[in-house]
Amino acid sequence: MKKATVFVLMLALSLSLVFAQGSKETVVRPEVVKLQVWYAISGASGEQFLALAKAFDAARSDIELELTYSGSYADTATKVSAALLSGDAPDAAIMAAGQLYTGGRGDYSMEDLVKDPDFNVNDIFKGMLEYGMFEGRIAAVPYGISSQVLYYNKDITDKAGLDLEKNPPATWAQFYQIAKTAMEKGNVNNSADFYGFDTSDGVWLFKSMLGQNGNDVVRKVNDRVQPVFHEASGVEVGTFWKSMIDANLMPAGQHNNAEKKFLAGNLAFIAASSNRVSRWKGNTSFKLGAITMPGFKNRSIALGGNVGVILTDDTFKREASWELLKYLLDEKNHTAFALGTGYLPVRKSAQNSTVVKEALVANPLYKVAFDQLENAWAYFHFSEMGTMDSFFWYALDEIEKNVSTVEVALNKAADSLVKEIE
Amino acid sequence: MKENKSVLRIHRVTILGKRYESAQVQAAVVLLLPTLVAIILLFIAPVVQVVAYSFTNYNLTTGMKSYNGLANYEYLFTDDRFFKAIRNTFSFAALKLVIDTSLALAIALMLDSAIPLKKYLRSAYFAPVVVPVVASSLIWIWFFDPGIGPFNQILTALGLPTSQWLYHESTALLSILMFSIWKGLGYNVVLFLAGLQNIPNSYIEAAQVDGAKPHQVLFMIKLPLLRPIISFVLMIGIINTFKVFAEVNVMTPKGGPLYSTALMVNYIYDTAFTSGKMGRACSASIILFIIIFVLTLVQTKLDARKSISLE
Amino acid sequence: MAKKIKRTSIPIFLILLFGSLAMIFPFVWMFLSAFKTVPDVYAYPPRWLPSSWEFANYVKVFQMIPFGRYYFNSIFTSTVQTALQLVLSVTAAYALVVLEFPGKKFLYSLIRSTMFVPIVVTLIPLYLMVSKAKMIDTYAGIILPQVFAAFTIFLLVSFFSTIPSVLFDSAKLDGCGYYRILKEVVIPNSKSPISTAMLFSFLGHWKSYTWPLIVTNKATYRTLPIGMKYLVQESSSEYQIMMAASVMAILPVLIVYLFFEKQLVKSITLTGLKA
Repeated sequence: MKKATVFVLMLALSLSLVFAQGSKETVVRPEVVKLQVWYAISGASGEQFLALAKAFDAARSDIELELTYSGSYADTATKVSAALLSGDAPDAAIMAAGQLYTGGRGDYSMEDLVKDPDFNVNDIFKGMLEYGMFEGRIAAVPYGISSQVLYYNKDITDKAGLDLEKNPPATWAQFYQIAKTAMEKGNVNNSADFYGFDTSDGVWLFKSMLGQNGNDVVRKVNDRVQPVFHEASGVEVGTFWKSMIDANLMPAGQHNNAEKKFLAGNLAFIAASSNRVSRWKGNTSFKLGAITMPGFKNRSIALGGNVGVILTDDTFKREASWELLKYLLDEKNHTAFALGTGYLPVRKSAQNSTVVKEALVANPLYKVAFDQLENAWAYFHFSEMGTMDSFFWYALDEIEKNVSTVEVALNKAADSLVKEIE
Repeated sequence: MKENKSVLRIHRVTILGKRYESAQVQAAVVLLLPTLVAIILLFIAPVVQVVAYSFTNYNLTTGMKSYNGLANYEYLFTDDRFFKAIRNTFSFAALKLVIDTSLALAIALMLDSAIPLKKYLRSAYFAPVVVPVVASSLIWIWFFDPGIGPFNQILTALGLPTSQWLYHESTALLSILMFSIWKGLGYNVVLFLAGLQNIPNSYIEAAQVDGAKPHQVLFMIKLPLLRPIISFVLMIGIINTFKVFAEVNVMTPKGGPLYSTALMVNYIYDTAFTSGKMGRACSASIILFIIIFVLTLVQTKLDARKSISLE
Repeated sequence: MAKKIKRTSIPIFLILLFGSLAMIFPFVWMFLSAFKTVPDVYAYPPRWLPSSWEFANYVKVFQMIPFGRYYFNSIFTSTVQTALQLVLSVTAAYALVVLEFPGKKFLYSLIRSTMFVPIVVTLIPLYLMVSKAKMIDTYAGIILPQVFAAFTIFLLVSFFSTIPSVLFDSAKLDGCGYYRILKEVVIPNSKSPISTAMLFSFLGHWKSYTWPLIVTNKATYRTLPIGMKYLVQESSSEYQIMMAASVMAILPVLIVYLFFEKQLVKSITLTGLKA
């Protein structure tokens, strides 16, 4: 009898423990919430991010961060895809096109999160906010955002008798003439491999130019995403692009090599990311200059870069991740990050802070990127946008190498995109 | 495990009509079990999954996965770039096989003659084989740089026109081929060298006594006796060529100028991981399998007809 | 052999010598560049010798990525993989050579056919399998899927076939079972090819890139080839840092190779002859 009683008591005790445990987990927040955070920011910028994240970790004893550099944008995307399959995904990530994994999977919780008064969503630049959207709804917050800036080699332009600060080009047509002059008269190295203009990211520049010519790249028609880049306004851009190749102003198919050429002093102008401001500072063998991008009908700039997303389902981890994102995007923190890295500030209030004003005076190159902020925009983000970039790449390749005419190449890309969307 | 006390008491069994020693069969099962498990887990199971996925629209980014019949295969058969990848693969494979084999053979024949510093030379030709592909690819990107790389510098010094190497569609694949050959040549050289050194001197001396000139010795004695090695080299070559991936991925990330360097394996990788279209990538993989399989089948059949044994 | 065709040997020697320089040129360039400064790298026209010998580049490699950790991971995973692969291959090769059993031919072809499968193809299913077993970001996850290699099995098969059958027969007469034969006849007589197989296996694992890339997320588990790739992203303007890292990555492999060269060559030879 005694044995049975003891047995039943033990059973009851253990059962109650099990149920007690179970109920505990769903109601009470654990003492320390542990977050897995992946980030795709490398180099000096990565270190700045890390410093900020670690400061957050130190300030919050109830949140513990495990930070991992997950590689390039492409590698990070692959890993996140794979990790989501297996359930090993990080709780939060700073990565490119993060909204593909939130909005793309129907998770628009970010829309509600940004309504948090602490976050002050109205302070964020419109274009930046668009950059974090998926199918028109907020699915990510902008973080490491950049635009392309037109850098130039002052030694070359001086030699060619050009003063870019006094007479900056406002349109691409004006720029065309300037680049031509630089090419004809500015060959400082007397190199056979000398060009007037190139860009390290042709697809990015092309998208900017489309926007500058009033083209939306893609549009949603009747619940379906349709390409519009092959319409007349897009063809105009392509034709200008080709004219630069035909005049031998820009080398064909060498965009991967553009930065090396520029650093070697064999390229007069280059359209490259604003974050090169920090990377190239003091590292060029020539005087470095920068001007805002010329335009067509307007001078808007397409944004690029990474966003912050929350990938976890766990309530407490979501809360903690949101706290982290808010901290990272706090005006002071994010501005310091931007100034230190050459990324752009995402908040309008940043322009009024003394720190920024001082920095702009101290380094005129930063000013160029800042000046472009008002005109920044992001095109409509949808699930096939990565593939669309590939099609742009192929189209530009064909246009530059004269394999297809501009219309044919753009139409081909448009058809391929439509096929993918189906 | 019974110890057999005498030869006369070997226990035999009949399986599927043939007689086997049961001790051997038992041992075989035990010893081969890990291998069998490995093959099933690491090859058979994944391949079955790949076949299954090839009939779905499995997408890594959005996570969707539903049956879509032959849609992937239809897409592939209308995709320019898929065919370009197949063409690239065949051009690359053909050139690599021919050059790897003939160049290695030539070098081995030369190494086999009366020259000094043999050991150093052999090591020099083999050294690139042990070097990791990714590290050396990254280095060669720099070599190929049209502006600051040493290759063009050497060409200029020799008074030759420079090349765009990886940046032009007519030279990109050849540039990667150059790297690939540099990397793999040594392996074949050593194989051929071993085969040559295995040919008894007496054969050659006898021929020379009969008045055979060097090129006759080459074509009538050395090459025929090297046949088995040549076909081994070709078979391994076919298999390895279809596995070339890292150097293309590292040196020409988007398939190269005008998609001239993307090999089938790269197409598959990009489709699966860059575009997230896993289902379609699996379909492409199945097609790749079939191609490799057919090729090796052809090579084995041709080989069976012409082999001369050394013994 | 040496006394025969002396008159044609000089031009042949020169051709080979020139060719060998072309083969080792990349190593020389890499070594020199590891000491260059940033302006040296971008100098136009390109320079051969560094303007000053920057040993600091090597230090910088460790600052930019956890090179030491990656190095350790590579050594550890390669060693364990090699050991496991050896056990697998020796047992399999022995069975294929010495034992008669039903399905032997089929198994042989099956093993051979695994050589046709490029890893890219089996990557995702393997990844899913490994993650279900909760082995992502573990050494086991990196090591286990790479323990099987048909090449190693065939290498050992070709050598085991040369062991004179006399030895097996006498062992059988002594009453040895097949396991003892493996232990006491085959292995002692195959020290050279087994150690060469180990070497090949180790080299292969050292270089392996695609699988460790996908199965590790955390820096603590990454191996050297992946670390090197990240270095390029980090230092896209600094080739000289990457060269320094490459020198450190390649040097030990080269040293091991030179040390074992004779063994290596002998074993490739045997694979070729008996395939």
